[in-house]
Formats: sequence, C-alpha cells, structure tokens
Amino acid sequence: KREKMASVSEMYDVGWEEMRDKLRKWREDNYRNSEQIVDVGEELISEHSSKLGDDIWIIYEQVMIAALDCSRDDLALTCLQELRKQFPDSHRVKRLSGMRLEALERYDEANKHYDAILQDDPTNTAARKRKISILKAQGKSAEAIRELNEYLEQFVGDQEAWHELSELYINEHDYGKAAFCLEELMMTNPHNHLYCEQYAEVKYTQGGLENLELSRKYFAQALRLNNRNMRALFGLYMMAGRGTKENKCSMKAVEEMLESMQITMS
Amino acid sequence: FKMASSFWKGVVGVGLFALAHAAFSAAQHRSYMRLTEKENETLPIDIVLQTLLSFVMTCYGIVHIAGEFKDMDASSELKNKTFDTLRNHPSFYLFNHRGRVLFRSPEEEPSSVRNQQALPNPIRLRKLEHLH
Repeated sequence: KREKMASVSEMYDVGWEEMRDKLRKWREDNYRNSEQIVDVGEELISEHSSKLGDDIWIIYEQVMIAALDCSRDDLALTCLQELRKQFPDSHRVKRLSGMRLEALERYDEANKHYDAILQDDPTNTAARKRKISILKAQGKSAEAIRELNEYLEQFVGDQEAWHELSELYINEHDYGKAAFCLEELMMTNPHNHLYCEQYAEVKYTQGGLENLELSRKYFAQALRLNNRNMRALFGLYMMAGRGTKENKCSMKAVEEMLESMQITMS
Repeated sequence: FKMASSFWKGVVGVGLFALAHAAFSAAQHRSYMRLTEKENETLPIDIVLQTLLSFVMTCYGIVHIAGEFKDMDASSELKNKTFDTLRNHPSFYLFNHRGRVLFRSPEEEPSSVRNQQALPNPIRLRKLEHLH
C-alpha cells in the first residue's frame, strides 16, 4: 500500500483556490513538473471537486497527462473515465485515450484512434500532431520530419510545430533547416529574445564565416531584447575570440557594446 | 481583497449612475429651455460638474477593477521566460521516457522491494519544496 503522506495543503498551508491557481499557471506557461501537478491535482479532485465547478474538466486533462508522465496509470485511467462520462463523443477526449495508449506503448491502437478522429474531422490538428509524435517515439525521425513538413505546409501559423521541427532538425544535425524554422519563429515573435538566442547558437554550430557573423549579430539582438539573458552574453564573449584576422571582434569592441546596452557586473 | 473589489465596483456603479443622472438632467434642462424660449442659456454649472466628476470617478473605479496592468514594452514580459518552458510542446509530448520506470510503484518490482521502498518517497518530498 502506498504510504499516506501529509496532504499538500497541510504541508504548505495553501487553500484550494491557490492550488487551483497554481495549476492554471503551470498549464498556461507549459510547465512539465508532472510530480507536483499529480500531487496538487490529485488532492484537488479528490477533496475539492464540488468547489471547482467547470474548471474540474480541464484539471482532469492536465492531471491525466501528468499522471502518464509519472507512471500513475491508475490515476490517468480515473481521470479519463470521468472525462469520457462527461463528454462521450468528444474528439479531445479521444485524443487523451490515444495518448494513454501511447504511454502504454500500444502505438498501433493509438494510431487507429487518431485515424478514426481524422476520418471524422480531417482538419483536426491535435490528432495529426499525435501521429507525428508516435513516429518520433518509434524512432522514425525521417518520417516524422516529412509528416511535420506536410503539416506545416497546411498550417503555417503553428508556432509550436515550427519549434518542434527545428528541434527535430537539430537532432539530425541539419542545422541549415533548423535555422530556417527558427527564422520563421523570429519573424512572428520579434520580441522573443529566446528565439534570437537559439538561432544564434544554431548559426554558431554551423560555423563558417557568414554564419559566425550572423551569430554575433543575433546574440547581440537577444541581449538588446533582454539584457539578463546569460546564454546570449556567453555567446557574445565566445564570438570575441573567433573570426578571421580581418574581422576579429576585439574584446574592447564587445565591452563597448555591452556598456551601451547597460549590462554591468551587478 | 474581495471586500476592496466590491467597493470599487460600487464606485463604478455610482459613477455610472451619476453620469446617467447628469445626462438626464441635461436633457431635461434642454427641453425646459426650449419651452421657455431661452435657448441661449448655457448648461448650469452643477450639471457640468456632476458630469465631469462622475466621469472621473468611473474611470478611477474601473482602473482598480481592471486587474494588473502589463508593461508597454513588449519584450519586458518575456524577461523571465526561459527555455525550460519554451521548449515544452504539449501537443508533441512523448511518454517513452525514464519517468515510466523511475516512478513505478514498489509493488510492481517484487525483486528489489527493500531498496526501492526507501528511495522514491524522500526524492518526492525534496522536490515538493519547489512548490512555493
């Protein structure tokens, strides 16, 4: 029997509203701290389900996915059954049962689930993305890349998919194409310093004269957007030592640039 | 905090009511002017004052109800974002990671029951400290 640990609300002296708000924050910001989600969410649904109202369904979904991460198949099944009872014909719930099958490594059954959804609704993006994830899980990266490219030809605005594709390309060491994906992301999110920084890192890895030049520019851009980005700062210092004799970026030039951006030792 | 928000909601309500009242008074004054044929007289000062004051009161009350303001600088709200969360793509989550084995409950591993029972709980307890 699992030992009964003190409940989360006792240990941290939080009320159910704070637990619910924490879960919302984790959900909106894409945190994957599954152990915590399971602990907080499990207590919330077992003891405060009546007070949650309609929020409870999305919490069930969130807890189910976290439970799959933590190998809590019992909890995942409970959440799934509650959702099935409430939304019997929902594609979203079908996708969740497909995800559960994926976690149990029953990929063929999961694929059948998603194909059924797609037959019913060919525009369902979630099912297509899960099929691509199955290919990734099975190690078929070339096929996954091809499918994801086809998906992006139809749904050009899907930023999550562009970032996923860039990650797949990086794993295949195809840095040119990864850089292209990150360029798409930078175009649609010009204020996001992290995309600039990742682009600069990919260009740096590619190597070669123009790429290093671009890399330096984008590290600087990332720092301009956020002068606390440590990785971009480090990247810029790396650039100071590199480059050919003609355009060697001296340490002094880098220091002047940093001063102008008001990045001090503090 | 809940008390405070209903106070500001009250303020907005009173402000809107006063605004409506001032408008109604102005309309009445206008029709009275038309009846007594003194159309060149301006609106009485108290109606004007009431309009302005109720407008200011409504604005002030709404600002308090509206919730937290965001920075105008678009990049500043991204300052705290890290790759930890940016890299997570919920639609593409995979489950074939070591969590499937690491978190498996001790009952399923009869061979090494003694060692495993001691291990998972302390790790879980330590990690919960990050909740706040």
